[in-house]
Amino acid sequence: MTRKPHQREYWRSLSELADDPRLLEAINDEFDGYDPQEFTGVSRRSFVKLMAASMALAGISLTGCRRWPQQKIAPYTLRPAGREPNTRQQYATMLARSGIAHSLLVSTFEGRPIKVEGNPQHPIAQGRTDALAQASILELYDPFRSRGLEHQDERATWADFADWLKQRMQQRGRGVAVLCEANDSPALAAIRRKLDQDSPDLNWYTWDPLHRDNATAGSRAAFGKTLRPQYHLDKAKVIVSLDADLLGATDPAMLRHARDWAAGRRSADSDGQMNRLYVAESSLTLTGSVADERHPATLAQIIELTQAIKSTVDSNFEFRFSEFGLHLVGDMNIHHGESLVIAGESLPPQVHHLVWQINHALGAIGNTVTLTTEPDYELPYTQQIADLVSKINGNLVDTLIIIGGNPVYDAPADLDFAAALGKLKQSAHLSLYPNETSALCTWRLPRAHDFEAWGDGRSWDGVHCLRQPLIYPLFDGRSEIQLAAMLTGDAEPDGEKLVKEALTEDDAAWRSCVRAGFVEGSQAKAVDTGPRADAIVLPPSAKTEGFELHFAGDISVYDGRHAANAWMQETPDPLSKLTWDNAALLNIADARKLGIEQGDVLKISVGQASIEIAAYLMPGQAAGTITLPLGYGRKVAGEVGADVGFDVYPLRDTAGQAVAHGAKVENTHRRYKLAMTSEHYLIDGIGARATRQRLGEPHQSGLLLKETTLDEYRRDPHFAERGEHGDVHLQMFEAPSQFNDPHAWGMSIDLNACTGCGACVVACQSENNIPVVGKDQVLMHRQMQWLRIDRYFKTDEKDEHAENPEVVHMPMMCQQCENAPCEQVCPVGATTHDAEGLNVMVYNRCIGTRYCSNNCPYKVRRFNYFDFHSKPVRGLAKPWLGIPDQQQLVQVDQIKRLLFNPDVTVRMRGVMEKCTYCVQRIAAAKTEHRIEAVKAGDHKHRVLPEGAVQTACQQVCPTQAITFGNLNDPKAKVTQQHKTPRAYGVLAEMNTRPRTKYLALVRNPNI
Amino acid sequence: MTTLDLQYDTPANPGNLTDDPRQRAPLVTGDNDFTSVTNKVARLAEKWPDLWWWVAFFIALNLFGLLQVLIGYLVLTGVGVWGNNQPVSWGFPIINFVFWVGIGHAGTLISAILYLFRQNWRTGINRFAEAMTIFAVMCAGMFPGIHVGRPWLAYWLFPIPNQMDAWPQFRSPLLWDVFAVGTYATVSLLFWYVGMVPDLATLRDRATNRLSQIAYGILSLGWCGSSRHWHRFERAYLILAALATPLVLSVHSVVSFDFAVAQLPGWHSTIFPPYFVAGAIYGGFAMVITLAVPARKLFGLEEIITERHIDNACRVMLGTGMIVFYAYSTEFFIAWYSGEHYERFVFLNRATGPYAWAFWTMIFCNLIGPQVLWFRQARHHWLGVMFAAMCVNVGMWFERFVIVITSLHRDFLPSSWAMFHPTWVDLGMLAGSFGLFFTFFLLFCKFLPVIAMAEVKTVMPQAHAHSGEHGEALPGEDAADYRPDPHWVERR
Repeated sequence: MTRKPHQREYWRSLSELADDPRLLEAINDEFDGYDPQEFTGVSRRSFVKLMAASMALAGISLTGCRRWPQQKIAPYTLRPAGREPNTRQQYATMLARSGIAHSLLVSTFEGRPIKVEGNPQHPIAQGRTDALAQASILELYDPFRSRGLEHQDERATWADFADWLKQRMQQRGRGVAVLCEANDSPALAAIRRKLDQDSPDLNWYTWDPLHRDNATAGSRAAFGKTLRPQYHLDKAKVIVSLDADLLGATDPAMLRHARDWAAGRRSADSDGQMNRLYVAESSLTLTGSVADERHPATLAQIIELTQAIKSTVDSNFEFRFSEFGLHLVGDMNIHHGESLVIAGESLPPQVHHLVWQINHALGAIGNTVTLTTEPDYELPYTQQIADLVSKINGNLVDTLIIIGGNPVYDAPADLDFAAALGKLKQSAHLSLYPNETSALCTWRLPRAHDFEAWGDGRSWDGVHCLRQPLIYPLFDGRSEIQLAAMLTGDAEPDGEKLVKEALTEDDAAWRSCVRAGFVEGSQAKAVDTGPRADAIVLPPSAKTEGFELHFAGDISVYDGRHAANAWMQETPDPLSKLTWDNAALLNIADARKLGIEQGDVLKISVGQASIEIAAYLMPGQAAGTITLPLGYGRKVAGEVGADVGFDVYPLRDTAGQAVAHGAKVENTHRRYKLAMTSEHYLIDGIGARATRQRLGEPHQSGLLLKETTLDEYRRDPHFAERGEHGDVHLQMFEAPSQFNDPHAWGMSIDLNACTGCGACVVACQSENNIPVVGKDQVLMHRQMQWLRIDRYFKTDEKDEHAENPEVVHMPMMCQQCENAPCEQVCPVGATTHDAEGLNVMVYNRCIGTRYCSNNCPYKVRRFNYFDFHSKPVRGLAKPWLGIPDQQQLVQVDQIKRLLFNPDVTVRMRGVMEKCTYCVQRIAAAKTEHRIEAVKAGDHKHRVLPEGAVQTACQQVCPTQAITFGNLNDPKAKVTQQHKTPRAYGVLAEMNTRPRTKYLALVRNPNI
Repeated sequence: MTTLDLQYDTPANPGNLTDDPRQRAPLVTGDNDFTSVTNKVARLAEKWPDLWWWVAFFIALNLFGLLQVLIGYLVLTGVGVWGNNQPVSWGFPIINFVFWVGIGHAGTLISAILYLFRQNWRTGINRFAEAMTIFAVMCAGMFPGIHVGRPWLAYWLFPIPNQMDAWPQFRSPLLWDVFAVGTYATVSLLFWYVGMVPDLATLRDRATNRLSQIAYGILSLGWCGSSRHWHRFERAYLILAALATPLVLSVHSVVSFDFAVAQLPGWHSTIFPPYFVAGAIYGGFAMVITLAVPARKLFGLEEIITERHIDNACRVMLGTGMIVFYAYSTEFFIAWYSGEHYERFVFLNRATGPYAWAFWTMIFCNLIGPQVLWFRQARHHWLGVMFAAMCVNVGMWFERFVIVITSLHRDFLPSSWAMFHPTWVDLGMLAGSFGLFFTFFLLFCKFLPVIAMAEVKTVMPQAHAHSGEHGEALPGEDAADYRPDPHWVERR
């Protein structure tokens, strides 16, 4: 204000005061560009005009007569130590799956964990996670989890259970058996050592449906003891996978494999070299989808191929098998010590032994693969559970305590575990969710979620990881080690003490380990050994009649344990793009022969057992094989997971855990609706032709996708710039607007590194409060994920039935066009540009005309057709009679809402949304950076340094395919990537000027 | 050299359909004078409606009720009750909107443009054609309002001053739509009402019960038929006609911008404004015929809405149909000629893709079916006329379906391609919008003068006792002495 403080002002009327030129001037200074009159006087006419309009609109729009929700805010009188309100804190912890620990860093906000990241220090995680780890947080806040103890359908307490257990354990554990899921916890091992002393008659068994029985048996045959292979794909120039899905979700070391494999692809830009991945497999997997040479084959064919490789390697590489085998063997010959052969779990133990011999001959052992001791895998799990069942049937066991898992659902079908369990008078099941097993047990014990309890485990490389609780157990759950400790007679076991005792006595060391999340330097030591050179007798080849069934862990629900996880259910399978279902994956030629269409319900039978399952015509499936994804068709899995898809476990017996032979297929001619997020493969001729033109022929560029081979790339590094309308430098019009901020955010996505694993999709869903829509809505194409991975198949003209397609994974999200078509058409200006080049959404301004989506050439905008957070996953959306924007306040579950990221608006119905380059993370980084700068005495505006902000998708990506940063910073990685010749903008010829660029695909086929 | 025989066979009673150049066909047939016209028209508003009216009204009212229930369901639940999805985020509501706006064209065209062009035959049909316009625009205006995701905030589309200084985004064609349709609705309503004032006064004067006397009394604005009143009336009517004329062209041009301004192949096309206007007139005349053919029969107005009126409307349809045909062909030609992959694909996909059935329905209904009107017999028989009109009604709806759905369902990235399936709510609302339209139309038929009585009288021979049949002045006479006629205004 320009007025002097003591100067006297006289005025006769309000209008005279209002007309004071100094006042107007002051207003003019403060609100530049506004008419100062608006702030001072109002004429009678305009007053009446505005009042009338306001009254009318207040009446029309409901906003005038609403009651705003009341919320009470209370400050702390005493703030707990270390608690800073409204800030995020990160804690290192872990979660275990099939006995393998994954080290994590979990963000909590005001005491509630809200986002999972990988632990940056851990040698395998290196800050990355897979999709399942991202989604694990949803299960923490699932209202359908086990809530409280139940004994014979009545409420009970842990004290009741402890009394009962004490009684059962009186006779040194006689008659008591424990069936535990795979677990490699040092604390549990310590408890078991104690149990072995105190209760030697206790029987302890382990079962996990996605076990490694064949691999471990093969390793025992080859080395005389169970060894665990540690693959070093970054050192390998030639990688051969024999039905092994190295990059798939079920591989315990997927993160390391993906990173190392991608490192071997990136070198194409620097030294013109690339690794070459050969894959022989029955069904198209993620590994096969990024293979340079892929060979679809049945199990027998793969075994034959392995033998051929072996004899070729033995006879100085003078053997010809098939084109694929020829290429492969030729490559191996050149790259001695830089090749690696990897056998998958579907191959019998003898073939694993054979592969170890090949690796030995290739000089791989010690170079591209090292061996460490496999902890605790004395007996195959299949044998352990069979032993347990025979003991129950022989009445040698009367009490069974099941720790985790779901054996009633997933045990080998011929054992009939449910019947055995039914014979027992006493049984207890510790479980995160009520499931098929707990339904049959007398005691139902709620299990603490991984983020609720102390624990430990070892990651694939043997590193001792620690798990610390981030929140008090929501539903009175206890962890697996607490339950095991209760067997030793401890009624109130202290998880922290158990974990600490197994690790160290030293408090300071303990604290630093908890802080880091793992024990530094605890990697397993490499064992220097070679395989036995015995001649190997292969098992007689299986019956050739009928189909060969492959059972595969599912990328979304794993073995069925994540069936209740709606995020995973809705994450499309990377290759079939199927959500909320599994299906029998069939070879297309086979299906045509049998007259099977997509979605036909098939009756598949092996011997006496049979199941019904919908058919999916899968490109790349080997002829004569059918792949059955495990983990669906759950009967008891809460509101979300029950009756989703088809249960295939009834076909999986003790002998055929990985592969079953001689299956018969019948078409029931009933139809089943499969919800795919993209279904372009099996479309009409005209669509298929256009798709071919847009994506190009195999190994060639199309309109949308630029790709080439390594040889071509060396010859013509600028291939990505070729093509129709490639040159958009000559413009009739000026650039649309000036971006005058020191930040210019941009992204690059390396198509060469993307494996399509989907971790980014779930990370984005978790970070941005993206709702789940349910199968009926996916069928209507209303899925909400902001980031999708476009999967395209490319086939040769000759390959009529797409037996061996080339696959492209193209992550697609908002491209943040500088010249954004969406912005121009929004009638209320709800989507606009900021100075940093972000195309931002103003959610509370959006009225939902959906014009922006129509005008978006990338179709990356998502619309809230219903209030999806309130809508049940199944069933219709119910009418909401209250004020619309209060719907979520009432209808979203009280526990579920604890998950919401407070930095991101929870969108209501009728609002458009899309990727924002994680604008909340940019804002948070700026605030933090500015506080630091001010503390350091620097009050000027500062530019964020490279790496200060990472988008959620970038942070999680196992292969670091996504790069994000400031394009104004010439040294930033993203700027450099935008300048590489491989960089191109999708649909840049539309002059959208996208800020996201793709690095074109380079494949390395052996031509 | 032969001599031209100038002796024609002149039929004794050439009727209303004659094309004999030596005489003009009368615009009102039969033995009618001013009184009989007044009686025929005013009686409709005065008598207890016939049974067919009650049946029709019952059906229409039920459908209108259905519409209201569905709107309630929609607002309370979310726009997901429709079949719209991503990528097809505009579906039935926008198709219906464009369809109804198109229908709303013919009324103003007939009343304003034909008025300025001195097409006196318009007087028989202009009143109910304008009513049709008003109600069609009501149907149309409703759809964008409920189409938005948060309908309770739809008023943000209007430039209302507010404390946040947040204005609409003026580059958006949707906003232009708001202005164009809003202006059109306002001017059409005024035009219709102003034109109706003398006739409302007639009804007032004839009214026998107190209620209708008061109601018509208020509506007729104190009209007493003085020369001054007529003078002002004629002036106002002319000005409104001049205002409405550009609107006929502008409103559908602006509606077409919703599509043409977008960069989506199949929408992004400069031909859209004239193409849409021609299509709108085409569809509008079809609806006029659809209403006029039964109405003249059921109301006994064959002598005022004559066969010649129907015949003329058919000719307009034939003409605009040709423009539409030309537009369709041009679109395909340009798609081919541009050499642009995405553009070519959209048109190929329309004709041979999964929505080919809709495309060929449109082609049959818009281009093939109405060609029967080339035949005189078809134009002069209600069956032929109704067949053509119904074809165009269906065809024009499908034209919008084809434009909206087939362009969106397969655009650039094949990963996002999807099919659109309407839900029962979509179909219910389409039916319900007809309910809204017919409810109001039937009420109009019952309570208001369906024929512009005052205007019809000006084109009757009785109005021109000293002149030719169509009011042209005979030599030596000043026609203005006798009639309030646009010629008069112009001559001054």
